[in-house]
Amino acid sequence: MSANRGEGAPNGVTRQEIMAVAAAREIRNGEVAFIGTGLPMVAAYLAKATHAPDTVLVFESGIVGAKPKELATGVGDLRLLVGCVKSTGLYYALSLLQGGFIDIGFLGAAEVDQYGNLNSTSIGDYQRPTVRLPGSGGANDIGSLAQRLVIMVPHEPRRLVPRVQYLTTPGFLDGPGARERAGLRGEGPTRVITDLAVLDFDPASKRMRLATVHPGVTVEAVEARTGFALLRAPTIGETPPPSAEEVRLLRERIDPEGIYIGQKA
Amino acid sequence: MADKVRSLQEVVASIPDGANLTFGGFAAYFTPLALVRELIRQGKRELEMTSVAECWVADYLAGAGRIRRVRFSNFMFEGLGRCQNFARGVERGEIEVEDYSHFAITSRLVAAGLGVPFLPIKPMAGTDLMRTRGFEAEKARPFACPFTGEPVLLVPAARPDVAVLHVARADRDGNSQLFGYTAVVEEQARAAQRVIVTTEEVVEDTVIRAQPELTVLPSFLVDAVVEVPFGAHPTGMYRYYDPHFEFMRDYYAASRDPAAFRAHLEEWVLGPADHWAYLRKVGLRRLLALRSDPGLGIARMHARTAT
Repeated sequence: MSANRGEGAPNGVTRQEIMAVAAAREIRNGEVAFIGTGLPMVAAYLAKATHAPDTVLVFESGIVGAKPKELATGVGDLRLLVGCVKSTGLYYALSLLQGGFIDIGFLGAAEVDQYGNLNSTSIGDYQRPTVRLPGSGGANDIGSLAQRLVIMVPHEPRRLVPRVQYLTTPGFLDGPGARERAGLRGEGPTRVITDLAVLDFDPASKRMRLATVHPGVTVEAVEARTGFALLRAPTIGETPPPSAEEVRLLRERIDPEGIYIGQKA
Repeated sequence: MADKVRSLQEVVASIPDGANLTFGGFAAYFTPLALVRELIRQGKRELEMTSVAECWVADYLAGAGRIRRVRFSNFMFEGLGRCQNFARGVERGEIEVEDYSHFAITSRLVAAGLGVPFLPIKPMAGTDLMRTRGFEAEKARPFACPFTGEPVLLVPAARPDVAVLHVARADRDGNSQLFGYTAVVEEQARAAQRVIVTTEEVVEDTVIRAQPELTVLPSFLVDAVVEVPFGAHPTGMYRYYDPHFEFMRDYYAASRDPAAFRAHLEEWVLGPADHWAYLRKVGLRRLLALRSDPGLGIARMHARTAT
């Protein structure tokens, strides 16, 4: 993913900023959100600073109701602990997922397939992989149990693949009804947010489809960067661009060092 | 009141080669690395790990070639990247793995602590965490609830031989306290057959009793107590010191190359005779610069410039 501000986006807005803003808008005020490291964290902070101040942020390390003053390096960063409402353990935090208390979760991955299944375990043979990735962690728990899942990945053909090499986290598995048969909770993935577009899932086939393209991006460009045949929503609009206030919050307050949203121009 | 205080050398000597170990710590915090360095110094080998997210332990032991197999859910250095030594060990076929979700592996520990042979859980179903098996004879079984027919997975209890947990303070009997989030410490302690606590400081039991809400382990769960100030370094300890990020970056750079990592081990683990020699080598000035602000519990925000 390019970190250069301005590439392919108008008004000097980075693609990471568009991703963060699109993800923030998925959070409804008052929801309980399970947050991972990186852009999801930026998105969650932005949502709290704008339309969703009452959102409750939960981190798998056991931090509940965080009100972070500065960006954390990860979900275990103790900067998240300062000023939170409950400090507990990992089992408690994850039990909130299985108990049905989590409205929305965010995940990235090395690979995503057309049913929204994710790989964060290995590339190549499982026992003797070409690349050993970090492993599920809470990802499978979030994908299995959160009411809604939002996926955030850079839009590259090697990431949006017909079939993940290892299915770590369930999207819709192999199609309609599969989540229910496996006993999983929640709606499954509702959005895939990339640096080119916002995608959702066809209600009948549960296959990924193009919903909106980011400003300055064509439908063809998105399709060319996707490793499988992408469905198209009945009408494909443009992703609403970040407002001046959203961009200001991201750059001045949430990620002033440009760690996740890209370097300053 | 029993006196369970022991030396680091003594408790590590009691851990046999091939032991199944579970370690405390999460991300860049409260990881019992003083004990891990002593494990490496004493040449312990063929170790098995029952892990949730003890990235620093796994990567140190993998880099020293001391682990044979690992059941776990995630090893990742937040802010740095995937664990290079561990990943290389798996990619070369030197370390066997069995992957779980956080909730699934933790539920196996919870089952052991509850004294039941298994627990029903919801996650992992339908994925390669179920289909693609590693070394585990029994990982999880699909099951229909006998009351409602609802599909669940059954995961068997997991009983590691030894839990090694680093805490903020403990009394001589083993009552142990942690500030901040507790990760999996309580579940690990109840599951393991033996529990070794390493602690920033040994305190009088009146200190424990003055703030009982901080206690994560009552003494009867604890078999040995080892006092190791800065015992989590380079990871941090809430209300004591921050993670030593410069040290971590140097470690991570070295871990990309086996020869460079060998040099790191020689310099920082095998070289220093014991934990005190290690701390002397890190240096008083750097250690003091990591100290927490008493009000925040972490080093002052915007002023994390340990040299």
